[in-house]
Amino acid sequence: MIDLLGVRVYGEVTVYNVIFVILIMAVATILAKIITTNIRRALIDKMKRDQLELMLKLIYFGIIIVAFVSITPTLGLNLSGLLVAGGIAGIVLGFASQSVVSNLVSGIFLIWEKPIKIGDQVSVGDVSGFVEDINILSTIIRTYDGLYVRLPNERVFTSNITNYVANVARRFEYVVGIRYSDDADRAIEIIKRLIEEHPFALKNPEPQVFVSELGESSVNLAVRIWAPSTEWYTVKMELLWKIKKELEANGIQIPFPQRTVWFANEPKVKKVEFQ
Amino acid sequence: MYGYYELSDFSINFGGIKARIERDGNAYRYIRESDGRKERIILAKNGRIIVNPIEPVNLPKELTNFLMIELKEGVISEPKSKMDVFLTFPIEVGIFLAAKKDVDVLDIFSLNPPKFSIYGNPRDGIICRYWKSGVSGELPNVDPKREGIMKLRITNSSNEWVEIRNLVFDIFGMKIYFNDEIVASNASMNVESLRVAETSFIAKPLHEGMKKSLELYTARKIPMVGKKFVMEWGYRG
Repeated sequence: MIDLLGVRVYGEVTVYNVIFVILIMAVATILAKIITTNIRRALIDKMKRDQLELMLKLIYFGIIIVAFVSITPTLGLNLSGLLVAGGIAGIVLGFASQSVVSNLVSGIFLIWEKPIKIGDQVSVGDVSGFVEDINILSTIIRTYDGLYVRLPNERVFTSNITNYVANVARRFEYVVGIRYSDDADRAIEIIKRLIEEHPFALKNPEPQVFVSELGESSVNLAVRIWAPSTEWYTVKMELLWKIKKELEANGIQIPFPQRTVWFANEPKVKKVEFQ
Repeated sequence: MYGYYELSDFSINFGGIKARIERDGNAYRYIRESDGRKERIILAKNGRIIVNPIEPVNLPKELTNFLMIELKEGVISEPKSKMDVFLTFPIEVGIFLAAKKDVDVLDIFSLNPPKFSIYGNPRDGIICRYWKSGVSGELPNVDPKREGIMKLRITNSSNEWVEIRNLVFDIFGMKIYFNDEIVASNASMNVESLRVAETSFIAKPLHEGMKKSLELYTARKIPMVGKKFVMEWGYRG
């Protein structure tokens, strides 16, 4: 057994050295995992999630890199030589794998520019959903219907990005049609009251309710409401139905499309009894 | 109303909101009847219930830690002056469970409908709990179940007359005191220029003998970072 451990793999490096390095790296990986897990538990409610994830990645890879650099002499590697070799290899690999390098650079710019953060609701090109993770090479999106989508960072960086929660508040709009015979002032008053009663329909910027169009079948009221970005969809869903019910409860109806037809001559129609 | 109760015989009627604790086998069952029924099971042998006013930014959900008070009447302050006025603030009631030197939040409710607003602009402003308050030079007569009284010291450090219509506070530093008649808090506003003012809360009761409320953020063990808030988007509404 001792003889086996003493067998040289290359140069002065023995099997024992290789096993030792593997053990050290395994311990470093486990240690990095334990430390990052504990830091995550300690700071999860004290830091923003994207900042926490970035810090944990730095700590995790920092521990592994320090461990690796510390044991390179055991493998008979000269660090300065390794760096030169690494540099040359980097250039070669860079040319050989342009898309990987492109994704890497895009990832660095994404992390630097921060157009999106983990947890944000975004639309990148034709993919919409929640940002699950931003890695150095790719960005993970969980679509609204729960699908896992991995986007290369180059694509994310060069696509049009819409971040639905980048600003603290956003506006949404309804168009509510009422009959020409209904009192538009009364309808506006009812809608304003409902908006006032909803906690997340913001007081400022002030909501707007006004007659926006005299349509073919209805008087159209525009309803514009600001809500916190994290709540706007809930507010939008809740308020529209409340407006509809409250208007109807007050005798104001949302009409179907209709057209009044005038005949030049009295139409010759015969009334038929329904049997 | 506000105060301490034994876990086993807790029952209150707070302005129409009824809450009680019933024995449920080896456990207890907390029941609150208003805005629908809310129930929670408590696994404890004994303990105490604390009912007190808390920082008013928790309902209907935690969205912000800032409170905006819009004044019904603008307050005009002369240059280089100090004066005290009284405002009101909304009350949220916290039901805490206390046992073995630790407390936790059991329930939060309020008799005031919540409303939110933005201080600043929609791009980089701040979502705030919104409240409209009158201003008076004397202690206003308010229902302590609904409204608290805020004594505000306005210091105009600038060289110009200023009109104040809005105040924004970081609620993390809010200290609330109560007795049988009133719920109160002490705050200050330092007007530094025509556009910038600084607000903060003062840890001092309005009257001697008032009890200090258990702060929700202390109970939740959230570390407080700062107590002051710089109103950099102005205070004139």
